[in-house]
Amino acid sequence: MTKPKVVFDPFSAEYFENPFDIYRRMREDAPLYYDEKEDFYALTRHEDVAAAFKDFEGFSSARGCDLAMVRKGDVPQRSIIFMDPPDHRHMRSLLNKAFTPRAIQSQKETVIELIDKYLSEADPDNFDVVQDFSGPFPVEVITRMAGVPEEYRQQVRHWIDTSLHHEPGQIEISETAMQANIDTAMYYFTLIQQRREDPQDDMISRLIAAEIPTEEGPTRQLDDIEITGFATLLGGAGAETVTKLLGTAAVTFARNPEQWQKLLDDRGKIPAAVEELLRYEGPVQYNVRYTLKEVRVSGGVIPAGKPVFLCGAAANRDSEAFTDADVFDIDRDRSEAQNLGLGYGIHSCLGAALARMESAIALDKLLDFMPRYEVIWDGLQRVNMQNVAGYHHVPVKVLR
Amino acid sequence: MKIDVDWGLCESNGVCMGIIPEVFQLGDDDMLTVLQTEVTPENEADLREAVRQCPRQAISFIE
Repeated sequence: MTKPKVVFDPFSAEYFENPFDIYRRMREDAPLYYDEKEDFYALTRHEDVAAAFKDFEGFSSARGCDLAMVRKGDVPQRSIIFMDPPDHRHMRSLLNKAFTPRAIQSQKETVIELIDKYLSEADPDNFDVVQDFSGPFPVEVITRMAGVPEEYRQQVRHWIDTSLHHEPGQIEISETAMQANIDTAMYYFTLIQQRREDPQDDMISRLIAAEIPTEEGPTRQLDDIEITGFATLLGGAGAETVTKLLGTAAVTFARNPEQWQKLLDDRGKIPAAVEELLRYEGPVQYNVRYTLKEVRVSGGVIPAGKPVFLCGAAANRDSEAFTDADVFDIDRDRSEAQNLGLGYGIHSCLGAALARMESAIALDKLLDFMPRYEVIWDGLQRVNMQNVAGYHHVPVKVLR
Repeated sequence: MKIDVDWGLCESNGVCMGIIPEVFQLGDDDMLTVLQTEVTPENEADLREAVRQCPRQAISFIE
């Protein structure tokens, strides 16, 4: 008897529900997965995914980073996640100093204030970790840094949710999602015009004033489309990721209550818990790249000109890289292998320090708010999204 | 062998300083200083770890 061939359909309901069994089978039986129907490859072993993230000359981002985009080859907007060097380096350098661990300390008070605000309004008898807490607060932090006025900050989140949503089986972007992208772009475009007139101390104003080098030599300023792309990316990547990390955290800790107890006993373990959450079930499942040349990986050779799913979430569960990889253990030895939860290499998460700080403060406050809690399991609802996994609803009952 | 930092890639995450502060130091201005570029038998293991763990892959060995 031969084993049935593993099927990796990143748009199926089965995958959204539990990608980890599929990842395990891919790592073992199909380390170089090839999908004949849709003509793409996928990598799941830690050694392969880490190497591919590092190899930007072999694995390009310039055609986008989801399957529909990479296949078409025309990226919807100029954005650093859709660029290779040297463009990528120029654009990223405009904002990276604002996101260093040191620089991000200036956001700490804002984060604490917002978290306190949402938790003080929350009802312990009827609390949804995502809807009432991890959804609303991160978007406020990042859009405030970008320069979005308060009354539009939650709207940005709803646009992101709509734009990333996929129905099971749907690869191409839907009309509703496209409309959300257009609404987002129109909104930022208007905001950029206001900031051109009247600059403020925010990232959009900084991008307006910035100069980047050109091939010909003299520097140039960014145009409205480039700034819109940057702002859209900040609002998206900087919000719904932490939203999902924390929603999943509530579920994971409910399944591993002894780990929650460790945190109750020693808050000093919170940063390690954030790292383990990023490894065990981080929000980002994969990034799609496009091979610029033939690339050799552990399972064989990928030809040039193909979309490749780099499944960081699968690599983070590789037992060749991590001891007891499927066990959630906040005390694990983190030096065993690179945690790919925030990516690796030139496209690694720009907002990593902010994500870590927001998550750590949120966990600390949740430990106060719900030291003992139960998840209302039949109320859990997962998101069906492009490359991020997590929950839309995580209802819990705080026990007294 | 020496240690080399690509300043276009470094984003002052400070992971390297956490691993081997004798070699990497992040100043108050968020600029990284390499205190010692020479790779020695004593620091080689830590330096390899710093190279591997740099999220930006900004550190490398040069001959």
